[in-house]
Amino acid sequence: MIGPWWRIGWRNLGRNRRRTLIAAAGLALGYFAVVVMVGLMAGLTAEMIENGTGLLTGQLQIHALDYRPDRSIYRTIGGDDGTDVARLLREVITDTAVAGAAPRVYAGGLVSSGEATTAGILMGVDPNREPGVSRILRSVVRGAVPANGQSQILIGTEMARQLDADVGDTVIVVAPAADGSMGNDLFTVSGVFRSGMPELDGSYVFVPIGSLQQLIALSPGRVHEIAASTTDPWLAPIAAGRLAAEFSTSGLTLEVEPWTRLRPEMLDYARLVEAWDYFVIGIVFAIAVFGVANTMLMATFERRREVAVMLALGATPAKIVLSILSEALALGVISLIAGVAITLPILVWWHTAPPDLSWLYGDFTMFGALIRPVLRVEYKPAVAVLTGVALLLTALIAALYPAARAARMLPADTLSGI
Amino acid sequence: MTARINLMIRLALRNLLRQVRRSILTALALIIGGALLMFSVSLGDGTHEDWIESAVRMGSGHIALQAPGFYQSRKIDDRLSEQARRAAEEALRSLEVARHVVNAVPRLTTDGLASSPNGARPAQIMGVDPVAEVGYSILDDKLAEGRYLESDDRLAAYVGTGLAEALQLRVGARLVVTAQDSDGEIAGQLVRVVGIFKSGVPEIDQAVIHIPLTTAGSWLGVGDDITTLAVLLDSSYRMSEVTSVLRRLLAGPIGDGELALLGWREAMPELDAAVKVDNLGNYMFQGVTFGIIALAIVNTILMAVLHRRREFGLLQAMGLSPRETGALVLIEGVILTALSGLVGIGLGIFVTWLFWRNGLDISFTWDADWSFSGVVLDPIIVPMFRLSRIAQGLVFILFIGAIASLYPAYRAARIDVAEAMKFDR
Repeated sequence: MIGPWWRIGWRNLGRNRRRTLIAAAGLALGYFAVVVMVGLMAGLTAEMIENGTGLLTGQLQIHALDYRPDRSIYRTIGGDDGTDVARLLREVITDTAVAGAAPRVYAGGLVSSGEATTAGILMGVDPNREPGVSRILRSVVRGAVPANGQSQILIGTEMARQLDADVGDTVIVVAPAADGSMGNDLFTVSGVFRSGMPELDGSYVFVPIGSLQQLIALSPGRVHEIAASTTDPWLAPIAAGRLAAEFSTSGLTLEVEPWTRLRPEMLDYARLVEAWDYFVIGIVFAIAVFGVANTMLMATFERRREVAVMLALGATPAKIVLSILSEALALGVISLIAGVAITLPILVWWHTAPPDLSWLYGDFTMFGALIRPVLRVEYKPAVAVLTGVALLLTALIAALYPAARAARMLPADTLSGI
Repeated sequence: MTARINLMIRLALRNLLRQVRRSILTALALIIGGALLMFSVSLGDGTHEDWIESAVRMGSGHIALQAPGFYQSRKIDDRLSEQARRAAEEALRSLEVARHVVNAVPRLTTDGLASSPNGARPAQIMGVDPVAEVGYSILDDKLAEGRYLESDDRLAAYVGTGLAEALQLRVGARLVVTAQDSDGEIAGQLVRVVGIFKSGVPEIDQAVIHIPLTTAGSWLGVGDDITTLAVLLDSSYRMSEVTSVLRRLLAGPIGDGELALLGWREAMPELDAAVKVDNLGNYMFQGVTFGIIALAIVNTILMAVLHRRREFGLLQAMGLSPRETGALVLIEGVILTALSGLVGIGLGIFVTWLFWRNGLDISFTWDADWSFSGVVLDPIIVPMFRLSRIAQGLVFILFIGAIASLYPAYRAARIDVAEAMKFDR
C-alpha cells in the first residue's frame, strides 16, 4: 500500500526536523485559530440568542391574532370572554420541544413612592410558572419574588433607586384599566431585581398575574400572552408550526410566533456569522499557504541534486511530484494532529469555564440582548472537520508549485553543477 | 563603530538582493498581511466612528455638560444652574475648544409617561430647540411621517414609530406626557404629534419624544433652565483632549459640584464595550495571521542561514564576531520586514482608498435594521485613515520581523567556524 515514493516523502520531513516543526506549527496555529475564532463567534451568537430570548421574551409567544404590534390591553387571548388558561398551558406543554410555558398580562402605568414617581411597564406573571420560561425572576438581588394572590411587586434596581424604595416599602401603582377607569392600588415591594439591561431594570415591574388582572379590571381568564421556552432555541420555529396547526384544528385563532419571527434581525445575524466562518478559514489558510510553499520550495531546492539523480535513474516526473505531494500531505497530517491536540483541551477548558473579560469591557447589548463580558466558546464540530480538510488542502496546494518545479528539472544541467 | 554598522547594513542589503526570489517570497506574506491589516483597521475605525457619531447625535453628544447628579437621577431637580450654563457656553466659544466643536445644543430632558386613549408607555421626553436640533440630531432625518418640530411650534411632539404603534398615534393625534415638575408634583401636558421618526434602534423608537424647549420649560416649571448642553465634536478622538481643555477653562469661573463633563464613553458604556469587543476581535484576527506569517518568516530566514553556513563561517574567519554575525542576520530580517511592511501598508491604504473611499456597501448581507448598544448599523462602511494607525501597524510589523529573526540570528551566531568551512555540498 505504502509505496516507495510515499516513504521518500515521509522521510524527507525528517531531514530537517526543525524546519518541519516550524512549518507544522504554522499550520497547527492556523487550525487552532480558526476553530477557536469560529467557536467564539458562535459563542457570541448563542449568548445573544439565549439572553435575548431566555431573559424575558421566551423562545415562543402565543397571542391573540390582533395583539401585536399594538399590544392593546383589550386584545386578550380568546377575546373579551377570555379562555381556559390552564387548559391552553397544558396543551402547549405537551409539545415535545417545549420545556415550560407561562401566562402573562401587560399594562403601562405609574409607580410612586413618597415624592418620586416613575413610569413603568407592569407585567403580570405567574411566579410558579415563569421560572420555567425566563430567567428574570431568578435575577432577584434583594428580597423575594412576589407571591401569588398578594399585592406585592418586584422592581428593578434602577427603578428602586429612582423611587428611593426598597424591600418592604409600599408604593402606589396607577394604570389605565380595561373598563376605562384608572386602576390604582397599594403594593408592597417584595424584591428588587437586576438583569443588566437598563430598559428592564429601569422600567419593568413584575406583579403576580392575579393582582394585575384585578388592578386593570381583567377577569382571571383574560391573558395577553402565553410565553414558552424550548429545549433548544433552534427547535422553536418547528414547535411553533406544530402548535399553530394544533390550535387551528381545535378551532382557536391564535398567533404562535417563534423568536426567529419576533426578532428576525437575530436570525439574520446568526446566518451572517455562519457565512463569516468560511471567510475566516479562507483568509487564515491563504496566508498559511505562503509559509508552507516557502518551506517546501526550499526543501526541494536543497534536494535538487538528489531529485536529478532520481530522474537520471529513470524516475518519471509524476513520481517526483507524488513524493513531494506526499511529503506535504504528511506535513499536513502532522500539523492536523498537533492542531487538534492543542485546540481540543483549550476549547473544552474555555467552554466549561469561560475566561472573564470584565477587566477589559463591561456588559453590552446586541439586538436588545445582554452580552456578558466573558469569552464564551461553543463547539462547532462541522467547522472543526471542515478546517481540518482545509488544512490538508492548504498543504497540498502549497506543494504544487515546488513539485512542478522539481519535476521539470533538467537532470544533466543540475548534476553538472550549473 | 559606525563604519562597522555601515558595513553590516551594506552586507545585509547585498545578501537580500543576491537571493531575490527568496526575499520576495518572504516579503510577499508580509505585504499581504500588512495590506490586510490596514484594510481591516481603516474599515473598523470607520465603522466605529460611524457608530459613535450616530449614537452621540441621537443621544447627548460627544461631551454632555450637566449638573453632577443628573446622569444618575435623571430628575429635573438636577438641572444646570444659570451661572454654570453661562460659563459653559463661554468656554465652548473659546478658540481652543471652538475649532473642534461642530455644534452644541441645549436640552431639557426628563423621564416620564406618555399616554393616549390606547395606553401608556414610559418615555424619555426631550425639550429641544427645533432650529439648533436640525443641525445636530439625525432624528429629524429619520422622518417616517409628518415633519420635524419647527421654531414656532408650541404644543407639538415628534415621536418614534415604536411609541406611535404602542399608543396608536398618527400625525395629528393627541397625547399626554406626564412627569414630575420642579415642585415635585406630577404634571401633565397635552401635545399633538406633528411627526413620527424611525431610527431603527428599538430603545430610541420606543421611548424618545422631542417637544419644543419652551413648552417643556413651562410644563415643568423651570423657565429657561436646561438639564444638558450636548456638544458635538468633529471627531470622537478629540473627546479627551477637548474635555481636559474644558475642565481647565471651567475650573476658574464656577465652583466644584456645579457642572459635570460626561464623555460618550461614560454616558454610553455599552457602546464603549461594543467598540472594545469589536476591536478585540480584530486584534485577535490580526494576531493570528501575523503569528502564522512570523512562523513562515522564521522558517525562510532559518533555511537561508543554514544554507549560508559556509558564508558565515568565512565571515567569522575573517574577523566578524559571533555577535556581529547574529546582528547581520537580524539586520537583514528587519530591513526586509520594514520594506515589505511599508509596501504592504501602502498597498493596503491605496487599495482601500481606491475602491472603497466612498464606502463599502454591505447591505446585501442583511435586510432588516440591525442595531446594538443603542446604534443602528449603517450598511455602508466608510473607511477612516489615521496616521497613528499607520505608525502602529508599522511598529507591529517591525516587531514581528525582529522577533522572527531572533532565532535564526542566534543560530548564525553559534556557527562552528572550522566545521562550517569544511562543509561542502
